[in-house]
Amino acid sequence: MQIYVCVKHVPDSAANIHIVDNLKIEESVPFLLNPYDEHAVTEAVVLKNQVPGSEIIAVCLGKKDAESTLRSALAMGADRGLLVETEKVCDSMTTARALHAAIVKDGPADMILTGKESIDNEGMQTQFRIGALFDFPVVTNAVSLDIKNGNAIVTCELAGGRTRTFDLSLPCVIGAGRGLNTPIYPTFPDVVKSRKKPIETLTLPELNVPAAPGSAKIVSMTPLVQKRHPRKITGTPSAQAAEIIRILKQEAKVLS
Amino acid sequence: MTKKYDAIIIGAGVIGTPIAYELCKMGYKTLNVDKVPDAGEGSTAGSCAIVRAHYSTEDGVALAYEGFKYWLDWENYLGNVTDEKGLAKYMNTGSILVKSDGHDWRKVKKHYDAVGVKYEEWDVDTVKKHVPPIDMHKYWPVRRPEDPTFYDEPTEMLEGAIFCPEGGYVNDPALSAHNIMRAAESKGGEFMFNAEVVDIRSENGKVKGITLKDGTQIDADIVVNVGGPHSFKVNQMAEGVWEGCNIKTKALRHEVMYCPSPDGYDYLNDGYHMSDGDIGCYERPEVGNMFLIGSEDPECDPQEWVDPDEFYAGKGGKGRDNVLTDAQWKAQCYRLGKRIPSLKVPNQPKGVVDLYDVSDDWIPIYDKSDLPGFYMAVGTSGNQYKNAPVVGRMMAELIDACEKGLDHDQEPFQYEFKYTQRTLNVGFFSRKREINYDSSFSVNG
Ligand SMILES: Cc1cc2nc3c(=O)[nH]c(=O)nc-3n(C[C@H](O)[C@H](O)[C@H](O)COP(=O)(O)OP(=O)(O)OC[C@H]3O[C@@H](n4cnc5c(N)ncnc54)[C@H](O)[C@@H]3O)c2cc1C
Repeated sequence: MQIYVCVKHVPDSAANIHIVDNLKIEESVPFLLNPYDEHAVTEAVVLKNQVPGSEIIAVCLGKKDAESTLRSALAMGADRGLLVETEKVCDSMTTARALHAAIVKDGPADMILTGKESIDNEGMQTQFRIGALFDFPVVTNAVSLDIKNGNAIVTCELAGGRTRTFDLSLPCVIGAGRGLNTPIYPTFPDVVKSRKKPIETLTLPELNVPAAPGSAKIVSMTPLVQKRHPRKITGTPSAQAAEIIRILKQEAKVLS
Repeated sequence: MTKKYDAIIIGAGVIGTPIAYELCKMGYKTLNVDKVPDAGEGSTAGSCAIVRAHYSTEDGVALAYEGFKYWLDWENYLGNVTDEKGLAKYMNTGSILVKSDGHDWRKVKKHYDAVGVKYEEWDVDTVKKHVPPIDMHKYWPVRRPEDPTFYDEPTEMLEGAIFCPEGGYVNDPALSAHNIMRAAESKGGEFMFNAEVVDIRSENGKVKGITLKDGTQIDADIVVNVGGPHSFKVNQMAEGVWEGCNIKTKALRHEVMYCPSPDGYDYLNDGYHMSDGDIGCYERPEVGNMFLIGSEDPECDPQEWVDPDEFYAGKGGKGRDNVLTDAQWKAQCYRLGKRIPSLKVPNQPKGVVDLYDVSDDWIPIYDKSDLPGFYMAVGTSGNQYKNAPVVGRMMAELIDACEKGLDHDQEPFQYEFKYTQRTLNVGFFSRKREINYDSSFSVNG
């Protein structure tokens, strides 16, 4: 199988992000592989182990710096990388067209994996736009994936924790969700090996990416101002622990 | 304001609290003033809190070994005080010093013999028996991942290590300072938080007291600078003090990484503290079966000297505010990844960034000053957490002796250790000293 994984170079969610000119984020913060894309890369490695002879190609649209994100994908197990280099900030129409053109040039694709969204723009459209440009079926927020009789059996999580299982013909596009797997992280020997893996750099003009018929441009951004209501948890250590558990279960709902 | 205190201590970190505790035990009425909301919430909170004996000077080894004994006897040291937050815990993992070109381990061994520190010499096989995932190849010199030679295959092996069964870490450094605060309070010490000292007043060539940001003046005949990374700013507030120091201090940014232990290795329970000059890292176990990875600041790494106020305000952008950098994350984790090849390094950095209060020779200043009544315990250089309780005692005795007329600059105070039979010439830590070239000029002291 020829598996393409679309990866995005995004700001670290743990960084202090500042907005400049109400328009863009200050780019001096660390940038890394979009966390949902880590699940996509990991799943590609799982598939490659199931279907020997498969090849994993990580594809990224971004600035020169985005090469480090491709290197992360290569260290995690992708075989080679394609960087569509542009200094422009692209909307999802152009992004999808660029990734589509790069995959067409390199292809053919048997499967295209993406993250369910990028944590910076949260557009949740790129996978659908790529699917439409190819005329491939698309599902998103996948939490399990199996290849059976030449089709992809994919379970996706819907709102409220419901799930739905699909049988997709190949080639297809799948947006990876958090529940899909535990990301594999590279060891130092993996990093050493990945340095020898090739990254091909392409540009929008040489790919002849057709201009999108429309566009969406960010005109202003505001930071999230979180209203916090701290309160003190008092009592004996065991009473405090019990109260924390109660809050995590009943209020934050992160424990069941 | 009427004079209410004998001594004001600026700072309630792990060094400021034991000074108060010991002065209280000697009958002084103390007040610690700190601008943060609670004890230990300054740079102590970010400390790795490693307790190990290897230093490059014999006095450094002796002080650390004496300090170790206090941690073993923690509850008694605190006078069995209760703290509603619970007590910090010393975890004795044992401490491995890798024999490498990055440490003058032969000198350390000599000091261990002189001081009587227990140790074993481990060959490579013994190290491997104790640390199964370890690779004992030699990687020296330390390089950065941006340097292509970083990835060169190693060809030589290291010799082995020196193992000290007595060594480990304290599981919650901020809590340990809080514990000492409670102990000091039980002896009459007082603490004031969210209060920033902006001036140190003097009169007739003697210290008179402090002024807070809101204008409040508090008087005392003794004022002690234990301001951690702010120490140079506090010294500059007191007349003639900064100028009178031959050794100065400044704040260095330091990143500490948390990287998950390899599958199948219970580092939290089976692991050791390690100092590994060959890769320029030190490590200890952390909750969640993590490797906590600190840097020994190898020469190839940039040093970032920062303004502590800007740093703690999160200002100043990349490398200055308290956010880990991707480059340093990779540097420290990949360096350890050479030693522990099965270590998996997540893409997203996790860890802490804090400041060292570094002196010119990375040896602290425990001393009086040129302003009578003003003292300092500063320049802790990323390596004095472990010594906090013994330093508290030593400073209190030094202050008491000076207040009773000792001319410490001429006739340095001699401190008798409580546990190990030894006398320390406190002049070793003098502000007036020349730079001590026996120092490693690193966090190893
Ligand atoms: C990342 C890191 C790792 C370390 N690891 C180790 C280790 O493994 N082993 C080891 O032995 N040592 C280690 N150290 C060193 C050790 O932690 C420090 O030496 C020690 O914590 C310093 O304590 P302190 O009380 O001097 O400073 P702090 O804890 O910083 O306390 C100083 C206090 O003074 C207050 N202050 C400053 N100026 C003013 C003012 N003007 N008005 C009011 N209050 C003021 C501050 O708010 C602060 O709370 C490490 C340090 C760091 C930063």
